Amino acid sequence: MRPEQVVEATLFASEGSLTPTDIARADEDLTPSRVEEAVQTLRGLYEDQERSFQIYQLGDGYQILTRPEYAPYLERFDSVPKAPGLSSAAVETLAIVAYRQPISRVEVEEIRGVSSSSVLNTLRDWELIEVVGRGEGLGRPLLYGTTERFLDHFGFQSLDDLPTPEDLPVTLREEESETGEEEESEPAGAAGTGGDEARG
Amino acid sequence: MAEDGDDGPEPFVVELERFHGPLDLLLHLIRSQDIDIFDIPIARITEQFQAALSAGLDRLELDRAGEFLEMASTLVRIKAQLLIPRNESPDWEEDPRADLVRRLLEYEHFQEVAQVLMSAEADRSRHFAKGYVPRIPDTAPPVEDLELTLDELMEAARGVPEPAEEAVHRAPTRRVRVSEKISLARRLLEESERVPFERLYEPWKDRYHGVAGLLGCLEMARRQAVRVRQAEAFAQVWLYRGERFWETEEEAGEEEAGALDGARLAHDLAASEEGSEG
Repeated sequence: MRPEQVVEATLFASEGSLTPTDIARADEDLTPSRVEEAVQTLRGLYEDQERSFQIYQLGDGYQILTRPEYAPYLERFDSVPKAPGLSSAAVETLAIVAYRQPISRVEVEEIRGVSSSSVLNTLRDWELIEVVGRGEGLGRPLLYGTTERFLDHFGFQSLDDLPTPEDLPVTLREEESETGEEEESEPAGAAGTGGDEARG
Repeated sequence: MAEDGDDGPEPFVVELERFHGPLDLLLHLIRSQDIDIFDIPIARITEQFQAALSAGLDRLELDRAGEFLEMASTLVRIKAQLLIPRNESPDWEEDPRADLVRRLLEYEHFQEVAQVLMSAEADRSRHFAKGYVPRIPDTAPPVEDLELTLDELMEAARGVPEPAEEAVHRAPTRRVRVSEKISLARRLLEESERVPFERLYEPWKDRYHGVAGLLGCLEMARRQAVRVRQAEAFAQVWLYRGERFWETEEEAGEEEAGALDGARLAHDLAASEEGSEG
């Protein structure tokens, strides 16, 4: 039994995504890194054979999913209720949590300019965000972060898949350093413009 | 820095409910007029903002209205600050608009991220995992397919809702034909492999539709155009395409003469019901 076959069987039989560690439990000879190798081999194989499915990485797990070009056929089986897409307010809130996590409700509201407790609760109910800790300060507010399910919902492998400022269709980038639109991770705007760092 | 307030406010018709909040509305005003976000004509925007508020504020809940009003007061404050000549306030370190611009830029950034997320969501929804294509209903899966007897199907018809008690007016109901239900069932089944029986009458919430739906269903089952399945008593009744589903109406129609006289049955039932009421 080759490792590819064991990995394939495991993924095939699973309804959800499996991490390499999960899969490695299938066989004593398997290690997470050998699982990763096997997944790459299988991917190449499916590609060559033009299979209707592929192994996709969602969060830190793998799952066999159909390729998007078959969606029109599968969507005809509409008797199975489809998860409704998120509302634009929900996605907007989710975007803020994803970039600024861990973040409190008040901070979310400062950015959106509207009260956000109900949308945050909804996102919690859908397990797209979770409480990841408590902040300092008055009342030790709950801090929110995104979940594995968030990655799955948007088909991301990790938070690194979130769009960077370069991916966004903004025209104001060159101005950013001047006006101090600050963001945590992108080194794009070189430090030292002095300007105004204050936020909130 | 350009002077603002030169142009009179254009009449702006916006539906306040459409916006997520004051920042969303402000961005809309700025974008739709191609305004440079770094040089916002505060007087003009303030007037437009207030116009939008006076048009729609009363339709908002109190909390949401408060959010818009807070922004309106911020705009007015900025407008006032801008009126103070620059040289008279030596400690004017930055443009009074700067903080607002920062907030707008930050908010705009997240709106754009949200757009990207939404298209990622759409892409993701085009991938299907195991278990997507119809499972048996959520109740315990049946050991084997049950063919349904007439009695069982009649039981399901008990799920047809009674007319609402409160209904005082009795407009004459349009007589619904069994053939309409048959074509409805065909149409639904062309789109998806199986259809819950309720789909045949649910939108109408009317007993006549229920009866016609049931008779149509029986007629189609007789022609083998549908198969009717139910996992257990009182469970969901499902219609599936039958062996002869794809045969044309004409082929099937030839048997019409020998068909169950649905219209008549429906009529009788209606008559008996009226009798029981009267």
